[in-house]
Amino acid sequence: MIELAIHRPGLEAPRAMTPALASSFTCVLAFARRELREALTSRWFVLYGLAFAALSVSVSYVSLASAGSEGLAGFGRTAAGLLNLIMLVVPLMALTAGAGSLAGERERGTLIYLVAQPVSRWEVLLGKFLGLAAAFVACLCGGFGLSALVLASRGAVGIDSFVMLVAATSLLALVMLALGFVISVFSRKSSVATGVALFTWLFLVLLSDLGLMAGSVLFKLRVQELFALSVLNPLQAFKLGVVQGLESSLDVLGPVGVYASQTWGERLPWLLFGVLCAWGMLAFAVAAFGFSRSSTA
Amino acid sequence: MLVSALGFAILGVAASAAAVDDTRTLGVERIVALIEASSDGETIQIPAGTYVGNLVIERSVVLEGRGEVVIDGGGEGTVVTILAPGVTLRGLHVRGSGAGVDREPAGIRAEVGPSIIEDNVLEDVLFGIDLRMASDSIVRRNRIVGMPLEAGRRGDGIRLWWSHDCVVSDNWLRGVRDLVLWYSERLTIERNDVADSRYGLHFMYSHETNVADNRLHQNSVGIYLMYSRRITLRGNSLRQNRGPSGYGAGLKDCDDILLEDNLFVANRVGVYLDNSPSSVDAVGRIANNQFVYNKVGMLVTPNTRRNVITENGFVENEEQVTVHGRGELSGNAFHELTEAGPRGNYWSDYPGFDLDGDGLGDLAYEPRYLFEDLLAREPNLRLFVHSPAQRAIEFTARALPELRPAPKFVDPDPLMSPPASRRVGPGPDRGNLGQVALGLALLGVSTAIGLGALRAAAPGTEVC
Repeated sequence: MIELAIHRPGLEAPRAMTPALASSFTCVLAFARRELREALTSRWFVLYGLAFAALSVSVSYVSLASAGSEGLAGFGRTAAGLLNLIMLVVPLMALTAGAGSLAGERERGTLIYLVAQPVSRWEVLLGKFLGLAAAFVACLCGGFGLSALVLASRGAVGIDSFVMLVAATSLLALVMLALGFVISVFSRKSSVATGVALFTWLFLVLLSDLGLMAGSVLFKLRVQELFALSVLNPLQAFKLGVVQGLESSLDVLGPVGVYASQTWGERLPWLLFGVLCAWGMLAFAVAAFGFSRSSTA
Repeated sequence: MLVSALGFAILGVAASAAAVDDTRTLGVERIVALIEASSDGETIQIPAGTYVGNLVIERSVVLEGRGEVVIDGGGEGTVVTILAPGVTLRGLHVRGSGAGVDREPAGIRAEVGPSIIEDNVLEDVLFGIDLRMASDSIVRRNRIVGMPLEAGRRGDGIRLWWSHDCVVSDNWLRGVRDLVLWYSERLTIERNDVADSRYGLHFMYSHETNVADNRLHQNSVGIYLMYSRRITLRGNSLRQNRGPSGYGAGLKDCDDILLEDNLFVANRVGVYLDNSPSSVDAVGRIANNQFVYNKVGMLVTPNTRRNVITENGFVENEEQVTVHGRGELSGNAFHELTEAGPRGNYWSDYPGFDLDGDGLGDLAYEPRYLFEDLLAREPNLRLFVHSPAQRAIEFTARALPELRPAPKFVDPDPLMSPPASRRVGPGPDRGNLGQVALGLALLGVSTAIGLGALRAAAPGTEVC
């Protein structure tokens, strides 16, 4: 299981800053590569990849098939279908994968070997994160690539929109992965971690939106309050960003969308990007803090 | 010696170039002189060149520019004004009107009809072609590009004011405000192409008009009919008209409107019915249209009745037919009894079946979407469209029938397959080489990451 034989001259004899940083970087990279290799050869990840590819291809295909023979297929319609799929599947994959990573190793007793290496814990964590992140980007690119080929057969890909969708989805996957790591760091058993991840998924995907809807109706929330509250949810921020990218404004989302477009204007994409990045970095920082203090067994 | 000869040669070339320029940039007085020297009905071939100034035509003549004549208003007032009946302007390039809205400066303004304005190019003009009480005129095959202003501050590309029995056809308009028809009756509006403007076609109190085969796309609104009667819209293509209050076609207080064989694709709202028909003895007919991929296929105000809506295809609109606010649409017929039996509309979300194989669904189409119903009451909730929560709510409503809202309308004879579109051909098909490349590139990234990981050094040899 442990395939690393770590020899680290930087720790034995203190050196200048730059070589130490470089050595730290190669360490992170070694961990990342190990994590990536394990992910790509593990059954669950291959399953995720195949499932995502099959779902996105079939969504693309179905949305084209219903267009009939008139060449009416527009990417907007397909994107709406893909968007729903992404919001359901990608957080589920990333949260459970992140939740399983550390908790699984801890349960199998391999985590102790990892942290016994002459590396700091954040290097371990960052390495694992980057490895899984790369695995996810590969998985998403595979699924999207196949969908693009299906869509291209009917000339229905807006290239800019598609690239935007892939980039936004990758960012969403990273954020959800980081949240998964937080769960993983604080869970003793991988079954618990998976359970918490599933509940988090349910909350982010459904419960928070449903709660906001109920709150909006019950408390007569004003548009700015509703916008502020909803954009706190990284999934909503992702959705708003994609809609903004596809439609170049949020007018299609009713009064709240009009408010957002008019208030934030050109800065809206940056706001949404910032919300996603903040979630990701905050989650990773919490995970790193927790991991540095947690026990390994 | 040689040098001085060369110098003279250069001077000579320069002098002749200047001479050519002199003959090319002229005052419009030259054209006025040509007109005054001619008799009524005579055809004048204007010599090629650029004419600066404001041209006023006071005699019935035919002016031909053959695409070689530029008339430049120099940024002041209306460039060409027609004050005599029977004038024809053909093949002119008109540009540089004033920009102040108060005088409504135009490229070409006809104050009297009939006049024929065809094959002209107009650019950098506030209003394009403006007919004021110029009945029996023809405006065709003109290309008009408006000034780069905010949509509401531009002038109209083509405007008819109290000009009856006119033909407006085959014009190409970009970046103008509207193609607008005020108080003008018995018009023929055909094959115009209007994009990037505010209203593609705008009717104000204009009656008895045929509107056929126009292409109106990427405007805020495709066609807006207001307070007009007996208008036929047939074979028009309305795509991607999606301003904040954008409609493919909006009908406000219009009587006896016939909408047939039109194509509504990816508009914010396909057709908006606002109290049309408004008179008690009037009806509206919406038949054989295709509503595809609009945010809302048809949006209807609650007080609207007496429309017959039949044999349309409602395909994958996010909301197919919905009421503006609360209320229902039972005052309208969503099917019709024909000689061949009853015919309804095609609904892509129809869940029923056709056991007897007559092409009609055996159960009525009764749309009962809880989320749509919520949206009508709480517009703010539109923020949550496209999200899984929306699907969850619809799913819950299907599972718990007591949560389902009452249907806003019923189509008792839904068609099982979309009616064939009779008039509108396929949309623009873009080349897809780049799209294939995009797909391959994404697969390439995926493969590279995978290979990079698996190709990595054998276990036990990684060093850091």
